[in-house]
Amino acid sequence: MTLFAALASVVFGAMGKDTTQERLLYGVKVFAEFMVIGLVLSWILYFIP
Amino acid sequence: MTAEDDEPTPSSAWMIGVAAWFIPGLGHGLLKKWPRALLMGGAVWLCFFIGLRMGGHMFDLNAAEGSSQLLQVPPMIANLGTGALYIISWLLGYGFADDPQQAARATYEYGNTFLLIAGLLNYLTMLDAFDIAAGRKS
Repeated sequence: MTLFAALASVVFGAMGKDTTQERLLYGVKVFAEFMVIGLVLSWILYFIP
Repeated sequence: MTAEDDEPTPSSAWMIGVAAWFIPGLGHGLLKKWPRALLMGGAVWLCFFIGLRMGGHMFDLNAAEGSSQLLQVPPMIANLGTGALYIISWLLGYGFADDPQQAARATYEYGNTFLLIAGLLNYLTMLDAFDIAAGRKS
């Protein structure tokens, strides 16, 4: 999941925004969102038989 | 609608788009956007080979027993996004096996997902290269 989040966020980060700093921040934000949402979903699914 | 909207897309932009689809990263490379070519193309290549290494399989129109051919089309479109990587694998018959032994691997579904995502990410990369070549973004 981490690897997937890293690769996807690299592409999203490189595509979005205008300046290098904005792209970097956007990439980090997307990565964090992938990780947090992934962990939250996996915990929700853990309790569903 | 402005006059800018009426300008036709240059044919070179279509060529860049096709090149970007066919070889991940090539579109940005042709536009001399080297960091983007390396990052975006590299991510697609990595995603693809990690997917293969994990034992994932790609989809073609040959449906598995008990499955509809129509259901093969959406994931095949996603896989096709990797361009030459998909075509070469298809010609070599590598990465299309869907036997029970392979499906039993713990990383099988992860591999499938990586292969699908590689194609979808390359579609995004292709659109980005096309937009740059058409002068719609820098």
